[in-house]
Amino acid sequence: MNKFKKHFVGIGLIKLLIYGFFLLFLIIPLLSVFLVAFTNQPINVFGLLISMERMQQTIDQFRNASLDNFKALFTYGGYLTGLINSLKLSLIVSLWVLVICIPIAYGIARTKMPFKKTIGALCTIPLVIPTFISAYAFIIMFGRSGWVTYIYEKFGGEGMLLDPYTMTGIAIVQIFFFFPYALWPMVAAFKVTDASLEEASRNMGAKGWLTFITVTFPIALPGMLSTMLVIFAVSFSDFGTPIILAPNDLNLIVVDAYREISGFFNWGGAAILTVIMIAVAGVVYWLQNYLLKGKNYDILSGKPKEIKLNDNKALTIPLAIFSSLVVLLPILALATIILQSLATTWGKDPLPSGYTLEHYRTIFTSSLGNIQNSLILAGGALILSVIISVFVSYFVVRHRSTTLDFMTTIPLIVPGIAFGIALIQTFNTAPLQLTGTALILIIAYSIRRLPYMVRSTVGTMRAIKQDIEEAAVSLGASTLTAATTVVGPLMLPGIAAGSILVFVTVIKETSISILMAPASWAPMSLAIFQNVLRAEYYSAAAMSVILVVMVLVLQALANRLSGGNKS
Amino acid sequence: MGSVVVEQLRKEFSGVTVLQDINLDIKEGEFFALLGPSGCGKTTTMRCIAGFEAPTKGSIMIGGKDIANLAPNERNCGMVFQSYALFPHMNVFDNVAYSLNIKELKKNNLFKKIGVYTRMLNSKIVKYPKHITEKVMDILEYVELTDHANKLTSELSGGQQQRVALARALVMEPEVLLMDEPLSNLDLKLRHTMRNTIRRIQQDLKITTIFVTHDQEEAMSMADRIAVMKDGKILQIGTPTDLYSKPNTPFIADFVGTSNILPGEVVGTENGLTTVKIGNQRIKSASPTDKKHVDVVVRPENIQVLNGAKDQTGNTFEGEILLATYLGSIVRYDVKVGEHNLLVDTTYESGDSIKTNGSTIRLSVSPERVLLI
Ligand SMILES: Nc1ncnc2c1ncn2[C@@H]1O[C@H](COP(=O)(O)OP(=O)(O)O)[C@@H](O)[C@H]1O
Ligand SMILES: [Mg+2]
Repeated sequence: MNKFKKHFVGIGLIKLLIYGFFLLFLIIPLLSVFLVAFTNQPINVFGLLISMERMQQTIDQFRNASLDNFKALFTYGGYLTGLINSLKLSLIVSLWVLVICIPIAYGIARTKMPFKKTIGALCTIPLVIPTFISAYAFIIMFGRSGWVTYIYEKFGGEGMLLDPYTMTGIAIVQIFFFFPYALWPMVAAFKVTDASLEEASRNMGAKGWLTFITVTFPIALPGMLSTMLVIFAVSFSDFGTPIILAPNDLNLIVVDAYREISGFFNWGGAAILTVIMIAVAGVVYWLQNYLLKGKNYDILSGKPKEIKLNDNKALTIPLAIFSSLVVLLPILALATIILQSLATTWGKDPLPSGYTLEHYRTIFTSSLGNIQNSLILAGGALILSVIISVFVSYFVVRHRSTTLDFMTTIPLIVPGIAFGIALIQTFNTAPLQLTGTALILIIAYSIRRLPYMVRSTVGTMRAIKQDIEEAAVSLGASTLTAATTVVGPLMLPGIAAGSILVFVTVIKETSISILMAPASWAPMSLAIFQNVLRAEYYSAAAMSVILVVMVLVLQALANRLSGGNKS
Repeated sequence: MGSVVVEQLRKEFSGVTVLQDINLDIKEGEFFALLGPSGCGKTTTMRCIAGFEAPTKGSIMIGGKDIANLAPNERNCGMVFQSYALFPHMNVFDNVAYSLNIKELKKNNLFKKIGVYTRMLNSKIVKYPKHITEKVMDILEYVELTDHANKLTSELSGGQQQRVALARALVMEPEVLLMDEPLSNLDLKLRHTMRNTIRRIQQDLKITTIFVTHDQEEAMSMADRIAVMKDGKILQIGTPTDLYSKPNTPFIADFVGTSNILPGEVVGTENGLTTVKIGNQRIKSASPTDKKHVDVVVRPENIQVLNGAKDQTGNTFEGEILLATYLGSIVRYDVKVGEHNLLVDTTYESGDSIKTNGSTIRLSVSPERVLLI
């Protein structure tokens, strides 16, 4: 063979493997779940490729395929109610998040609000707590024997201030724990809103608030709407909150899908719900891109200008108080869990009756396996996603592979539960029976986190000039040697920061863990979930604290790495 | 070290031709410059030789061997990039030792291979053998960087980085040294010093060198021969003096040095002198032509100012000085003659007076110095 071409064959083989990986674990499962929605029975995609008998069976399945499931969606009340409720929930949550975030974002971006730094830092707390832990903290606070309820009754209230096991309960948890996702993009939007336009408006005699409504707000609006869509998607795909808080008579699509598959083994039902979830998430994603199309804030505002910060005390002090109140709830939730983990018993009282480290000892003696499982699974996902994302970013940057670029954005859209269901049903039977193994769990985690990882490695890869790689090759190195001795080491800081984040998010991951993890591989999140279901709150709390601490430490480390890299 | 022969090279990028009919015959040990404005295809030519681009057509031979089938890492072309492309995570020594490590990697057994590999990732863990250390230190001494061996490349100045890049390419004893605008990131003064350094090293080592530049002065002052390129084609190949005295196109006449280029019409030939009409002026030229319409090329320094002296050329003109520019050792006059402007350079010695703008001046040029293209 022509050696000049051979030079590129090794790397071509790797490209093929990457495509194979995406095909096998992403494209085929998603397609097959779509087909199952018609056939009502699982399709053995890999079996039918190697056995005639299987092939015949599949053909029969398709003969019997029907639109029954889609019809059931509209006739059998449950599915439709679930969808409508979920949409309602997401809409409410995203609207409220917007309302809450506007003053806080304005305060941070455009005023000299007191305690601005502290408030900003506290606003990251909700992000380190997985939602099912927040939801369960909410139960300890607002539930029948919660301390909030105690105080409420002391002040003459009757029953509960707020029943956590309702749509409202779910919405409040989501609002207070998802708002940071919207806050920082909105701060950015407020910062870039052209200050000179505002100045012009003010010079023409408009009052401060009028300027805000007529100039600042409209310019920031597309950015705001798109962050609202982000929250809509996050809320719609969130599994942790509803699985803990949704009562039996409240249908939400994620919970319904989970129950169909893990409770009733109703493949057809789970498939149709999965298809709908993906469709909704897809539309939201499309809308979001559509909104932001052509709106490049850098161009809109030119160079970032010095913005004069508003120092009017009559505005900044109320803003600071409001912002503090918003972050208070997540902080109290975290504090409640910490207290619970240290409590001997904690009934309907403002504080536990005594303190002990017993629960932690229990964890470290009997539940060490779960911690170990989490670490192994997260470690595996880390290694897999590092390998894949390094090669993917190489192909995206150096070969301008748009197909791979597109494939890595798919997991961004597909809700965790939907992806889990697709995988379970595709790999349920021989010859590729992977459901229930640690391998498929690791693969699922990796694919879910790949978009974020790829984004950071693509950035680092772009920063490495092609010259440097070619210099190595001209000095005699093969493409592979150049990649491992020059490109690899240069990408390391970026990879390190990104992979810690993968590790963290896998530890926090709820939907995939609860849906797919077998008992022998139960990670911490699944253990906490089961403890909460069994009402073993104390050990659930202790495990939660350990989890949150791990997340905090690793996140700080990742920030350190990526921050240190920049300077 | 070898000769480089390029025949009928053609390169297209998705249908667009960026190189065509490139023929080069570069001798062993020659310092050869590719000169041309930006975008003319110099880098692409070089990348085809180095193997980073596959030619659409044509052949390339290094040292008499066709290299079409060799991968870029097997061509043994030392490269110096415009950006230097030093490895920022390695110190100077490791940068220079890179190709020597690669050679070790190729010839050793698996166990030693792992050692070399580890050394390429971190040279503190596995030490260099004596022969590598000596070779690297030798070359570092040669480019005067001995004291900087353990520094990171980011701690060096531009000129020092440039020398690291050079040392890194030289240490592999390449068949040819390819340099792509290596001096363009340096300031003027350093650029002049580096010209001498590169030229000295090239002559010491007698290494065949292809030097890409868009700076005619750089090419003229360094190269044995120059190929002038434009729009993906080679216009002329020759020694610097060839190009200067016998440019074959107005483009080169203008690009290499400064020229007065005027369109004219041949009106007659007599005693080997061609008379050309430019506007309402006539000029005699000793350069033969068979064309009717020609470009008349005259270098500014070949035009004499007749300060009352008698003309001996038969080519005299009268003009008005529009602008006199004092350039140190010369004074450049912008003179209006008929409807054309001419640049005229005269040597200036201290004490000479400079003619004032607006004054009349008489000029003459020898027919031998009038070129018809
Ligand atoms: N990879 C490429 N793809 C498409 N066009 C290219 C590529 N590389 C160079 N070109 C084009 O080829 C022409 C010559 O480029 P180049 O060789 O870099 O010129 P020079 O080095 O003389 O400035 C330019 O018009 C450039 O746009
Ligand atoms: Mg170039």
